[in-house]
Amino acid sequence: MSGFSSNRRGAGKGPDLWTFVTLGGFALVLVFLVYPLADVFRYSFTDKETGALSLANWAEFLGKKYYLKAFLHSMVVALATTGLSLVLGIPLAFFTTRYRIRGSALLNTLAVLALLSPPFIGAYSWVTMLGRNGFLRLALASLGLKLPPIYGPLGIILADSLQYYPFVSLMTAGALTTIDRSIEEASENLGASSFRTFFRVTIPLVLPSVTGGALITFMMSLSNFGTPMIIGGNYLVLPTLAYNLFTSEVAERPGMASTVSLILMLCASLIIALQQWASSRRKYASMLVNRPVRKRLRGWSSALAHALCYLIVALSTLPLAVVVFFSFKNTKGPVFVPGFGLESYRQIFFDVPKTVTNSFLFSLAAVVLIASVGTLLGFVVARRRTRAVKVLDPLLMIPYIVPGTVLGIGYIVAFNRRPFFLVGTATIVVMTYFIRRLPYSVRSASSILKQIDPALEEAGINLGSPPGRTFRTVTLPLMKAGIVSGAIMSWVTSMNELSASLLLYVGRTMTMPIKVYLSVLDGFFGTASAMSTILLLVTGLALYLVNRWSGSGAEAAVGAA
Amino acid sequence: MTSIRIVGLEKRFGEVKALSEVNLSIEKGEFFTLLGPSGCGKTTLLRTIAGFYRQDRGEIWLGEERVDEVPAHRRDTGMVFQNYAVFPHMTVFENVAYGLRVRKLPKAEIERRVEASLRTVHLEGFEARTPDQLSGGQQQRVGLARAMAIEPRVLLFDEPLSNLDAKLRVEMREEIRAVQKALGITAIYVTHDQEEALVISDRIAVVSGGRIQQVGSPWEVYKDPANLFVASFVGKVNLLDGELAGPSASGPGLGAFRSGGLELAVQAPPGAEGRPLRAAFRPEDADENPAPGSPNALRGRVAASSFLGSVASYEVEIGGSRIVVERHGPAALGASGPGTELAFALPPERILLFDPASGSRLRPEGAASPEGRGAGR
Repeated sequence: MSGFSSNRRGAGKGPDLWTFVTLGGFALVLVFLVYPLADVFRYSFTDKETGALSLANWAEFLGKKYYLKAFLHSMVVALATTGLSLVLGIPLAFFTTRYRIRGSALLNTLAVLALLSPPFIGAYSWVTMLGRNGFLRLALASLGLKLPPIYGPLGIILADSLQYYPFVSLMTAGALTTIDRSIEEASENLGASSFRTFFRVTIPLVLPSVTGGALITFMMSLSNFGTPMIIGGNYLVLPTLAYNLFTSEVAERPGMASTVSLILMLCASLIIALQQWASSRRKYASMLVNRPVRKRLRGWSSALAHALCYLIVALSTLPLAVVVFFSFKNTKGPVFVPGFGLESYRQIFFDVPKTVTNSFLFSLAAVVLIASVGTLLGFVVARRRTRAVKVLDPLLMIPYIVPGTVLGIGYIVAFNRRPFFLVGTATIVVMTYFIRRLPYSVRSASSILKQIDPALEEAGINLGSPPGRTFRTVTLPLMKAGIVSGAIMSWVTSMNELSASLLLYVGRTMTMPIKVYLSVLDGFFGTASAMSTILLLVTGLALYLVNRWSGSGAEAAVGAA
Repeated sequence: MTSIRIVGLEKRFGEVKALSEVNLSIEKGEFFTLLGPSGCGKTTLLRTIAGFYRQDRGEIWLGEERVDEVPAHRRDTGMVFQNYAVFPHMTVFENVAYGLRVRKLPKAEIERRVEASLRTVHLEGFEARTPDQLSGGQQQRVGLARAMAIEPRVLLFDEPLSNLDAKLRVEMREEIRAVQKALGITAIYVTHDQEEALVISDRIAVVSGGRIQQVGSPWEVYKDPANLFVASFVGKVNLLDGELAGPSASGPGLGAFRSGGLELAVQAPPGAEGRPLRAAFRPEDADENPAPGSPNALRGRVAASSFLGSVASYEVEIGGSRIVVERHGPAALGASGPGTELAFALPPERILLFDPASGSRLRPEGAASPEGRGAGR
């Protein structure tokens, strides 16, 4: 009986604050999602010369080996990355939650740091190690072990897996720590061996979370742009193909780029649908009374478990460590010379200080928007389920399925003419960050709200406080902790955004990830390393802040990426 | 002090009719209870009065003002919530001061009123505490202090005691009643606990299926139920299906009600002969020491017994039916075990008759219906 009225909530006539928020939400979705994406559709389905409706782009995509191969490459990379992430993530989750592993908190933090690090740092770092002139490859060659350069599918899969496996490990660990101990005890009490219990009880219970982690990994790998761009060599995947088609100076093909974009979005929608289906099919409500205990291992088994966990995390931390190390090497132009110093940092702060300030300014501006708009829309989604809001809610989730490259293409096309001339401005970069984070912030705000008893708001209103004032004095203070940690995560992902802003930047709106990317292309590894180190530092700082604030950096990280 | 009048109120949730044709008139300073099982519409009615739901039809009057279109925050009702709804991010003082600050009262006045309210609910000295330092009972006292601090036109209680343990519940309900009477604020109290309703209320409205079944004093609702629902929801009741077989030999004006092998003398309603009837009487209506020659002297074998302290309850087999009777005080202590015989008498005037199809009460000739009295006040 304390549910919500299905038609109108509460008495009183006329629109209130939330009516305007809902309208604003629609305006935002229409201008910054529907309008540019409609252009992507239009380009894909029209003939460039005549402007007539045409399926030529689609026929060409399906008919040419060049395009189909990119599709195949994307699938291979995403599948292999998912598989490898499962291989790395599940054992790590199992051992750190079920056995006493010394330093498991540190392992956790390092894994999350790898997950949140800028998506291209891993790729770039592996290039410096195993690329054409990679120091590790050269060192191994001098020992007689000749490796081919890392460019190509193997490089992408390696870099992607070592970045994204924490999705699997964190979600699996989350599930493993919330299985009530007595469920496994019941199985053993009924006569099952602990081996049988593990396969018949434990595994089925954590399977939905493992599947969830695997699907996110697949999705991230599929839409990742920076990694295949840097380490992929000639091995084109869908996002890099779309980028090349759109920007190629020789034969610009916006129609074809749009078609590739739509195929990417189609794949992403399928995965989301799969995810929804998987999570709806198996949902185990857990009543956690007895937390599972961590067993103590002894002798060899303990040493093996430790070695495995440390090896996995060390592999994923290695690229980050290499980047930090190289940032302090002395350079002479693109060449590293012996000795250490702060030369690379000096170059950044003296030659391109604007890049650094841009990154901070744009991401902070975006965070202000993300936190405020996301919170207001999250409130509407959670508390005012009018017919209009039920339409708005899924629309707000569109950015989930729009890879950054696709959003960038849509924005260039749509915002380079009347009535919105935005290409080349800082506004469009900020809006890109904002829109890409919107679904996460709305979701997180509405899930925070679901934990706040609506009776508290009713109490405020009942005591004479109008809806707006009640939101400000009752709801908002209770949401504060959640909003702040969400905002910090948004800040990190915005600072590290590359795929959309790479299409939209002009000289004066260059950001640090773009500069890193360009430096890598030009072979200036020193500045790239220093810039990446700064980004890593920011990521680490954010993680620390979230941990201090809410005590659950890992959860926030899964929600953030 | 404000009177409340509700006229023809109706509320739907989609296809479901949560309230239909609700008419109530509550007097100034009255402690009025909405009693019914969960899902009956009592909370919907309370929330509609508070303005959290918008009615589909009907009027709500607080004193001389019609408020059914007034937004919730301008209705000036003080609500006490089931799960307390104490603001967790504010101290006790700030909680109680919240509504006063909204009203922009001067600081000294706010302090005076907060202090007075906290004193009334026995929470002096708790001003600086935060809700997580309070027990459930203390939190609900804060909720009550907060609602009365604004000196509302009406206090609304939404099952305020259902989350407290049994002993505290009894303590708090007496306090709530004392506070309400001391302040003289009209109160509407929602509960599913019939004992609570009987103890605390001036009058009770029994609600079922979104309709008001009966309005009356606790005594009226208990002793003179308007229909079968009220009779069985408020208190315990024995129900026997049967029919009126003709005049009874036990006395003038009495009819013979026959149910299986059991015949009871009842006050016959006019024209009830030959139609199916349901007879109802309460376990405590059985007369333990009947005078010789009293009508409906019965004797049966005890099938099961339970001892509840001050009361002993027996299930007795008579004429193919099982009847529950209670014995009180010292008689309860001389408990008879299963298999023993028990004798008692049922005074005919205590046996109520109902139409089993409609559930409506069939009264003997000359008896007035209490419904008109209740609702019309």
